[in-house]
Parts: sequence; C-alpha cells; structure tokens
Amino acid sequence: MISPTFTASPGARTRPFFLWRHLNKLRWLILTIVFAMLVLLPLLHIYQTYVAAHAYDLLSPGETRLYDVMEWIAAPFVSDPAADLDAVKGNTWSGSFWGYKISDPLAAVGQAAAGLSLYWPFLLTALVPVALTMVFGRFFCGWSCPATFLYELNSNFASWLRWAGIRVGNRRFDKRIKYGVLALGLILSAVSGSVLAGAIYPPAIIGREIYYTIAQGGFGVGTVFFLGTLLFDILVARRGFCRYLCPGGALYSALGRYRILRIRRVAESCNDCAKCNVVCEFDLDPMRDGFGQECNNCTACIAICPTDALTFTLRPSDYPEQGPGHLGQRYRAARQAREDTVRDVAP
Amino acid sequence: MERRSFLQALIASAAAAATPGTAALAAGRSSLRYLRPPGALPEEDFLKHCIHCGQCGEVCPNRCIKYFDLEIGWEAIDTPYIIPREQGCILCMKCGEVCPTDAITHIERDVDAILGTVNMGHARVDESLCLSFQGKTCGVCYRACPLPDIAIYVGRLEQPHVTDECVGCGLCERSCIQLPQAIRVFPERAA
Repeated sequence: MISPTFTASPGARTRPFFLWRHLNKLRWLILTIVFAMLVLLPLLHIYQTYVAAHAYDLLSPGETRLYDVMEWIAAPFVSDPAADLDAVKGNTWSGSFWGYKISDPLAAVGQAAAGLSLYWPFLLTALVPVALTMVFGRFFCGWSCPATFLYELNSNFASWLRWAGIRVGNRRFDKRIKYGVLALGLILSAVSGSVLAGAIYPPAIIGREIYYTIAQGGFGVGTVFFLGTLLFDILVARRGFCRYLCPGGALYSALGRYRILRIRRVAESCNDCAKCNVVCEFDLDPMRDGFGQECNNCTACIAICPTDALTFTLRPSDYPEQGPGHLGQRYRAARQAREDTVRDVAP
Repeated sequence: MERRSFLQALIASAAAAATPGTAALAAGRSSLRYLRPPGALPEEDFLKHCIHCGQCGEVCPNRCIKYFDLEIGWEAIDTPYIIPREQGCILCMKCGEVCPTDAITHIERDVDAILGTVNMGHARVDESLCLSFQGKTCGVCYRACPLPDIAIYVGRLEQPHVTDECVGCGLCERSCIQLPQAIRVFPERAA
C-alpha cells in the first residue's frame, strides 16, 4: 500500500488564481506611478505659482514650455489651477488628498517621540496605513515606497554588474539591526526634540529631495545620504538598507507580524528550484515556507515560480515548514525509498 | 600630519557649527535672520511638531517658503523658513491648512484672525537708512503692507511707523528700495 500523503499526482494539483502571477507587473506600475507623482507634483506647484502670479508673459522659453505642458496635463481636471491643484499635495511621508491627510506611521511615531506627547489629530492621519499594514503586512515597502522603485532598479543594475564579471557585495547581516535603528531614531528624536526619524528614512528623503531639486533650486544632504545607501546596496549587501537598516521597514515589519494576507507555498506543486529564494529582495526563504514578518507581499516569488507553487492565503501566521517540494528531487527520492520499503514489506 | 590636523580642525568646526541644539535655536542664537511660516508654533514646539514633509512649501503660491539643509543645525534640517528680503509672505494661510501636525496652526484668512494669532516677527525701521526720513518721500513699505493703517502708518513725507499689530509677513522688507533695506522684520524669538 502507498500511504495516502503520497497519492497526489502532479496533474491533479490545484493551481493558484491566474492573476496572482501578474501582480508583480501591477506592482511595478504602481511604483512607477507613485514615483511619477512625486516628480509631477512639484512641477504642478511651479505651474500654480506662475498662474497665481499671472506671469506667463514674463517666463523664459523653458518655463513657458513647462507652463504649457502642465496646463495640458491639468486642464481636464481643474478649472482654476491656482486653487484647485491644491487638492493633492505632499508625498508618501505625508500627503493631503482633497483635505484628507494621510501620513507614514513612522512620522506619527517619530513625532510622538520628539514631542514626548500624543497629538491625536496628527496620529490619526496614520490610522489607515497602520490598519492596511496589519492586513497586508509590509506592503508599503514593496508596493508604494518611492525608494523601493530606485532600490529595485539598483538591484537589477547590480545583477548586470555581476553578469559583467564585476564583484558586487552580497554580505548578510542580522535583520534585527533595523529594529535597533528604529529605536535609536526614536531616542534621538526624543532627545533632540526634532523629528529626526525622517532624516534617515529613504521614502521621506526621496519625496523631499525631488521637490527640492525641482522647485527649490537644488537638492540637499538627503540626496547624499540616499546615494550612500545605493552604494551600500551595491558594494556591501543586496538591498541592504531595506533589509537591515530601514527604521520605517522595521516599524512596518513589526506592525505586519500578524498580517492576514500572506503568501504561502503549495508543497505539492513545488519542485525546489529555489528561484523564489534568489529573486526575493528581502532574503527570505519562500522555498521552505520562511516568509515571516519581513515579507512585503511583493509577489516577485509568485511571478517567477515555474510550477505555480506560491499563492496567497488568509491566515495570521505562516504555514509551518512543509519540507521538500513534492515535484523536487529530494521528495521523489524519499518517496521512491518509501515505496521500495513498502513493496519489500507487503508481499 | 598637517593634513590630518587640518581635517580634524575642519571636522571639529563643522560639528560645532552643526550642533547648536534646539534650545539655542529657540533662543534665536543663529546669526541667520529667518522667519517661520505664519501660524508656526514657538520655535521649540515647532521643531517637536514639524515632520519635515515639505507640504507648506509645496502649497505656497508665493514660493516664499524654503527649507533648511544643515545651515542652522541638524535639528532644524528640512524645516521651512522665510527670508523676507528674498520673498515675503502674502498671508494666504494655505500652509497652516495643509500642515498635518499643526506645527503651523490653521488660521482663517481673515484680518481679525490674522491679527490675533499670526506672530512671525516684527518690522523695525532704521531711520538712518529710510529715504522718507532723509527727506525723500518714498512710502513703498506702506504700500506693500497687507495691513496698511493697522500694522504700519505713515506720517510726514510718508515716513513709516510700525505699530504693535505688525505680524511680520516681511512684504515691507521685500519691497524696500534701499540697500541695505531700511525696514527689516525681526523674528519674535530673537526679540
């Protein structure tokens, strides 16, 4: 007799909903849109000031072109650009949409630490991101962080370098370092009385620095810091800042520990090819069910899986390790051994 | 060896320049004369509230709000400021509307509300520089003031006199045709 756990044949396995493997493209689209918005909003702001100043005749040719392009973009949506374009302002660190304000949880925590008090009108602006994080985990890092957009391109660049034979850093550190960075940032905020957590948080830096570069005449020290993190990612550790140092990533990871929506492996479909582990930007272990609180549901592993062995599930914890994939060498060898022993014993 | 000691001196002076502390900032000990946006909390509270998001500048129709880098210390990095000689505040009050933390409190765009709550600074006239006080009738500051006859009134030869009602928007300093400017706004924290 063959034991019942081994009866599932490859043809009978259930496949995940077909759209899941295309979510990675949707994610890139969203990342691109968020980044494009961060570029567009300062340009629209400049356009607004030109309109408010009735300055069209005074503009230089380059400024006139900017005015015309922004007018073309904004005209379908607004009747009075100087006033109506105020509806959407800000960046992913803190923004306002038609009067509704939404802020990064790290901004809320950092401000509470700096003021050593709870200022509820502001803390409540982080409520929606916190609730979403508790359901979707660290999704901000994968799906909307403007720094992720650049960091993932940077990772791709590093893999080209590796392909060209140039050595890039691939060191590993303890992922818990970032919780220390978060604690340190909050302590520094409390001691200095200034919200410094945002000064070492790439998405906040990117939002500000793009705005400074476009509308304020030049970038600041934040750009230097961000370029440093890009170099760190290439020279020391792949995606090192997000994995090991980002204070916001630490906060999101902690909030998303018991997230409802998570990725899981279907062991029956897995062939142990390890592509998921290689593609995972956060150095997780999807091939052995090791997602944990660091997973940002980016779906890169789902997209790359050749046997459709990764899918979503709704449960507040990961599946315990399910062992080797049923289509893989190790599992089949073990099954063969088991069948041989069964055949030896049965007759 | 010389280079090393030079570098050490450089780093030490940079560190000293970069760390005045919020208390020093609050006392206005920076040599840079800057204003905070209208409705901003007192300096120390302001730094505790401001999350450096940049929305006040992005909503400012006059583009008068700029952002510090490390000029006055790392506590004030990315906080908004106004240099009135570069661009004054037109008191549109949009920055307070958009500020998520109320580091800049929301104030209605209404004369009474502005007079009662905005306190960016106070204009002072240097009579030795002012053209009107030199007998050359000018009056530009009076005409630039958004609160004429309330914050500033003119006497003989358009000589300006600033009242206690001045909220410190800086439009007079922006418009002053003298160089160095005869009317300047001094932030309240430095008073």
